[in-house]
Order: sequence, then structure tokens, then C-alpha cells
Amino acid sequence: MNEAQGSMRIRRVGDAAAVIDIAGDVTADSEPTLMSAYEDATDQGCKRLLLNFGGLEYMNSGGIGMLVTLLIRANRQRQELAAFGLNRHYREIFELTRLDEAITIYESETSALAGGTR
Amino acid sequence: MTPVAWPARRLAAFEIASVPGNERTARTRVAQTVAACGLSPAQLDKLGTAVGEATMNAIEHGNRGRPELPVEFQVFQSGDEIVVTISDRGGECNAGGAEASAEAPDLARKLAGEQSPRGWGLLLIRHMVDAMDVITEGERHTVRLTIRGHESDE
Repeated sequence: MNEAQGSMRIRRVGDAAAVIDIAGDVTADSEPTLMSAYEDATDQGCKRLLLNFGGLEYMNSGGIGMLVTLLIRANRQRQELAAFGLNRHYREIFELTRLDEAITIYESETSALAGGTR
Repeated sequence: MTPVAWPARRLAAFEIASVPGNERTARTRVAQTVAACGLSPAQLDKLGTAVGEATMNAIEHGNRGRPELPVEFQVFQSGDEIVVTISDRGGECNAGGAEASAEAPDLARKLAGEQSPRGWGLLLIRHMVDAMDVITEGERHTVRLTIRGHESDE
């Protein structure tokens, strides 16, 4: 296993939302972990998934591809994806890839939880 | 091709084995090398992303994941300009200019299933540095990344 592989912990917040706390590196190798967390949240009936990037150390193009795959699955399930905790570098990458048009970005967990469905 | 401003001082030369994951080592080595070169924190992040992506391409595509083939790095400084070269053995396979012919990634098309979810590497590289040049000489394929230390961090 890549020693820098990221971790993803899921937290239920409210009736139909969950936070996935991301830490470490996010690469293509992270896909099984993220998809497992996503499936857990979906099985619990979550319609809103908040990705917490506060613990992110590094994300590469493989990680971005993985987020696109997650988006495709969430769209099929009519779930909303949102994100918070991105630093300036990764906000810029979200803008560059236009991920910010598909994943609502918030400044904090508080504002993300307060945000409604689009 | 963007010319290198000479005279340029070589700060480091090293190589890594073509093993997925070793791009982390390359990013760390380059970051350590240029730490005192006057780049802003934002530029260091950008250079790290560009080096990581170019290294992954060299490992996966240029050297086809063969661990016995090295990816070779050199880091130069000339004035406020930092140049990083990343070389693999995929020159003959890249004779047509794979970088130039790669389809531009489009999120809407990817979400519609018309493109693979992947394929973001070249887009990231081109936007993270001031110049990206590709040099192919026989089997040697080199990506040269240039970043200029003029950006403010506001």
C-alpha cells in the first residue's frame, strides 16, 4: 500500500447529509476507499454529501478523475455534492477543471451545513 | 520552444525508478531543491503539482511502468527562473507529440460519459507553470517546466 494513501472517514450530520473527512493524499488509489465511504452514506439514505478537504495534503489528476467518477454516481442518485476546507491551490484547481460548477464550494463546515439544495 | 535564459546554474540532478507512487519522491526532491530560490508558497504548490503530473506521465506512459527504466530530473536556476526537466525513454513512442494531440478534458463531456473521467494531467501542468516544452531526441523524451519567480501571494 502507498504509505501516503489518504483516509476518508464518514460522519452522519442531520437526517439526510453526511460529511466525508478526507486526509492525506487523494489519488487514483483512493478510489476504493472513497467509493466505500460513498456507498455507506448512500445506504444510510444521504442525499447531500459534504467533502471535507481540510486534511488534504496532496491531490493529483487521478484524484480529480476520482471526483468526476463520484459526481457521475451522485448525479445518478440525485444526490448533491458539496465541498469545504479547500486551500487556495486546490480551489484554483477546482476552478481550472470546472469542478466548482458541479460541486458547491463552501468556506466552512458550518456554511456547508447551512447551505440548501440547489 | 521557450529558450532557457543562460547562464543557468544546475541545482540538482537525480533519478527515480518508474514505479507508481515515486512521483511523491520527485516532488519532495524538487521542493527541497528550490526551497530557497525565492518562489512564493503558491508557486511552490503549483510547481509541485506540475512536477508530480509530469512524473506520473513519464512513469506510466513514457517508461510504461517498467521499474528498471529511470525517470531523470534536472533542476536549473537562472535569475528568477526555475527550470525542471523530466526525461523518460518514451521518445520513439511520442514521436507524434502525444502532449500536443491529447484531447482537452471537458467536465461536461466526462459527466455525460463522452470522455474518460481521467485525463486532467496536461491541463494541470500547462496552467501551473509559465512554460512547458517537450523535447524528443531519439528514445529520450523530456518535458521542461519553467516557472518565474515574479508572482505575488495576494
